[in-house]
Amino acid sequence: MRAALFALGLAALAWGSWLAVDFATASWRDTWQSLAIFVGGPVLHDAVVAPIVGGTALLLTRVLPPAWHTAVKAAAAATAVLVLLAIPLLWHPFGVPTNPGLHDRDYATGLLIALGVVWLVAATTGLITSKRRPTP
Amino acid sequence: MPRFASAAHHERVAARVGSWLGIAFGLCFLTGLLSHLIQHPQPWFAWPSGPAWLYRVTQGTHVLSGIVAIPLLLAKLWSVYPKLFERPAVRSALHGLERLSILVLIGAAFFELFTGLFNIAQNYLWGFYFPTAHYAVAWIAIGSVLVHVAVKLPIIKRAYEPAAPNPDRRRFLRTTALTAGVAFVATAGATIPLLRRVSVLAHRSTADLPVNRTAAAAGIEVPDGWRLEVVAGDRTSTFTLDELAALPQATEELPIACVEGWSASAQWGGVRVAELLRRCGAEPGADVRVTSLEKAGLYSRSVLPGTHTRDERTLLALRVAGEQLSPDHGYPCRVIAPSRPGVLQTKWVTRIEVIA
Repeated sequence: MRAALFALGLAALAWGSWLAVDFATASWRDTWQSLAIFVGGPVLHDAVVAPIVGGTALLLTRVLPPAWHTAVKAAAAATAVLVLLAIPLLWHPFGVPTNPGLHDRDYATGLLIALGVVWLVAATTGLITSKRRPTP
Repeated sequence: MPRFASAAHHERVAARVGSWLGIAFGLCFLTGLLSHLIQHPQPWFAWPSGPAWLYRVTQGTHVLSGIVAIPLLLAKLWSVYPKLFERPAVRSALHGLERLSILVLIGAAFFELFTGLFNIAQNYLWGFYFPTAHYAVAWIAIGSVLVHVAVKLPIIKRAYEPAAPNPDRRRFLRTTALTAGVAFVATAGATIPLLRRVSVLAHRSTADLPVNRTAAAAGIEVPDGWRLEVVAGDRTSTFTLDELAALPQATEELPIACVEGWSASAQWGGVRVAELLRRCGAEPGADVRVTSLEKAGLYSRSVLPGTHTRDERTLLALRVAGEQLSPDHGYPCRVIAPSRPGVLQTKWVTRIEVIA
């Protein structure tokens, strides 16, 4: 089972690398752009995103009463995910094609509404938890 | 070195979030592979023309499993983040190789999710051709996932052994599941009608039938003496729009399902392709090449396989929702077949040629 998974994985990796080399050797610009995304992702995550996440979690743990920890941290995580999903819809430095019915909602308002719902639920949950559990 | 005290970094958490992420990646890979094979036909692969919603579901699953994988990947990376600071950084050649394979895994995963998310928003930050790059890196991603699972199998097994419940670990897992759910609800309305108004971050809005390429963008000008040409062997038949409208008409409820994951069902009216072929001396079940008035561009032509020309629901549509096609929807006529990617539902058709 383990060996089979390993062999299957190596085969897929080899095939993908072959396709990637084929793709990348066609154009230097394509090579650099795709490599930048491939390497930039992990670097950006490890050097910027993860420390911010960890720092925020640590800060929330220090400043919030224990009853509020889970609700606020969950809402913060949901906020981050919603903002991430909204970025490609709100920020398009090179423009987007005009296609009726596609990427044409009012995403800024939509995001605010979604965040409003998330924090309303968090506030309600936090209130209920802190009423139930006396702060030490 | 930072100190990581949180229960989120426990191997039982990493294994569980990893399993969820593995399922999302697996679904995403398989449905993506299907879509690739439909668009790049192979002799050993046949895609059915029914049920009509099949491609809508597989491609919707592709995009949504990718979106849900974003919070799952972030949670998984947070769970194993302390490993980045392990010392010594490389214990042996094998250990070094394993760490390198993880860099490849994360790079490929990030590449797929990033390019996919921006591509569905038609927000092209890069100059390269998306499908080729996304397809190649998909194999690298799934390959490194399989290698990773093989390497970690003993730890995964250990992590699923019974243990006393731990509320902190449980809270992290619940929050992870919750954020995955939030990502789903915020976007799934692009293809799930019930969520259309709820999904504030869906790339498709509430219009009845979106347009992915306008007549203006495709540079379409319908000539005054436009005729549809149907070529079967050495016989060429031509039809004016009035002549097409005088043929027996059919109505079908069929979805447009875009490779970008959105879908919309509509009522199409026109001539059955099978009927048209019979009238032009060809047998339904033959592959046909469909050519658009669009001069250049990757999607100015498509091959409609025999499975779909045989299917009576496949139409050369002249109308949608009871109205003549608008220029953006493919006037004078377009192909609409069940269970096909939207890019292959060629618009502004000018020629149909039997090729097999």
